[in-house]
Amino acid sequence: MQHDPYTLARVPVRKWDVLEVFAKFGNRKAIRAVKALPERDGLLDEKEIDRLLVRTHWEMQRLGEEFYHGPRVYELLRAVIDAIRRSGFKGELKVVDVGCGIGYDMRWLAARTPLANEGVELTGFDLNSALINEANRLSKAERLPCQFQHGDAFSLDHSGHIFLSTGVLHHFRGQELREFLERHERPETQAFLHFDFQPWLLAPYGSWFFHFLRMRTAVARHDGVLSAARAHSAGTLTEEARHAAPGFASGIYGAKIWNTPAPRVFHTLLGIRRPLIEELRKELGRRVGRLGELR
Amino acid sequence: MTLLWLYLLALLDGLLCGGRVSMGRCALIKKRAYYARALVRGWLGAQLISTIALVALLLVNRFSPNQRDLVEDLEDAAERMLWVFVPYAVAVVGSLALRMIPSTDLRSATSVFGLGPFTAIRPLVMVAGVGYGIWGSQLVETRALGLFILGLMLSLEFFLNRSAGARQRREIREVV
Repeated sequence: MQHDPYTLARVPVRKWDVLEVFAKFGNRKAIRAVKALPERDGLLDEKEIDRLLVRTHWEMQRLGEEFYHGPRVYELLRAVIDAIRRSGFKGELKVVDVGCGIGYDMRWLAARTPLANEGVELTGFDLNSALINEANRLSKAERLPCQFQHGDAFSLDHSGHIFLSTGVLHHFRGQELREFLERHERPETQAFLHFDFQPWLLAPYGSWFFHFLRMRTAVARHDGVLSAARAHSAGTLTEEARHAAPGFASGIYGAKIWNTPAPRVFHTLLGIRRPLIEELRKELGRRVGRLGELR
Repeated sequence: MTLLWLYLLALLDGLLCGGRVSMGRCALIKKRAYYARALVRGWLGAQLISTIALVALLLVNRFSPNQRDLVEDLEDAAERMLWVFVPYAVAVVGSLALRMIPSTDLRSATSVFGLGPFTAIRPLVMVAGVGYGIWGSQLVETRALGLFILGLMLSLEFFLNRSAGARQRREIREVV
């Protein structure tokens, strides 16, 4: 899928071009998955691709539900919000989900937590209009107090006090990752929470097993495994964040289970303005042990 | 009594199959009613295969030249099957019960170490259970019935999955 970077309009994609990319890597699974995608006159059929994406995101939501991702996001977000409030912030707090897909995180927070009644605005952004339409359809169906917009979450047209994302960071590498993190440096932004796969020895195998069991589409199975393999280490994330967004103290939250050596599937890159650190520690309470070094 | 236990286990399996094939096919947040319908469909599917199995059993019994020994042989085979199916069911239900504990890590761990692997081995457990059951049976009728019921059990999830997939495709076509 490709978009014009300025207008965000969809750009037609030639199936052959996609096949060529994967052929370069010798990725036979991906080639098989792409070959199965519907096409029209050599171009990927946009409507069918949108349907596949929606279907795949429904399946991804299932993994989020199974691994209790909503409560995990809320646990840390709650502490961050309370820390910001305690520091004297009175107005409406804007929480922005970057690359929200069908908006599971925001919809879960809107449905299962009191945030929306506490002056917290929940908004999701994605570059894919089909996913945003689906996110809005789902939130309307359940009358949830959250909204979704097609576009760039960091655009100067919007503001965000807290940026969060799930499974987005591993899509960026090198300079792109740095640029992504740099974009958090806005005067109004107080914190960012980016949840992503935690790389470790067994992660690709575990990911393969679970995606094979739980996902039904070839694309989802393939991408899930690739995501685990492409995940950034805690060292890379904190180093890049400290370099790219020096106005924040950055660190990793929730890397280990119960402070044992056993790693969680996801870890969180947390960035927070320095004056808020002590309040955050207090708000985390007994969970403060999950917080790595913030600097 | 043994056959009743097998019937109850088949219903439990049907319920869980119904739930499993529905997962990842509805992206709402509040979906208790959706899952309830899915469980009912699984339960009905299990009822249907249990009924077919019962009819097959009665027909075999009616036309078997070994009517007197058949019931005893079937009971013995069913008892052996329980040695495989009951521990599996206890492990699955135990994993589900652990999810009542309000710890996100513990609940996730039940997926990683319990429900995920148990889903993966379900067909193998079916084959092992029925295989162990009919291995020591004396009559060819028992073996044939065992294999027939195995086919029914394995096909349950397949058909529930196909039906859920068709519903999902229709829904996605409506929304995209």
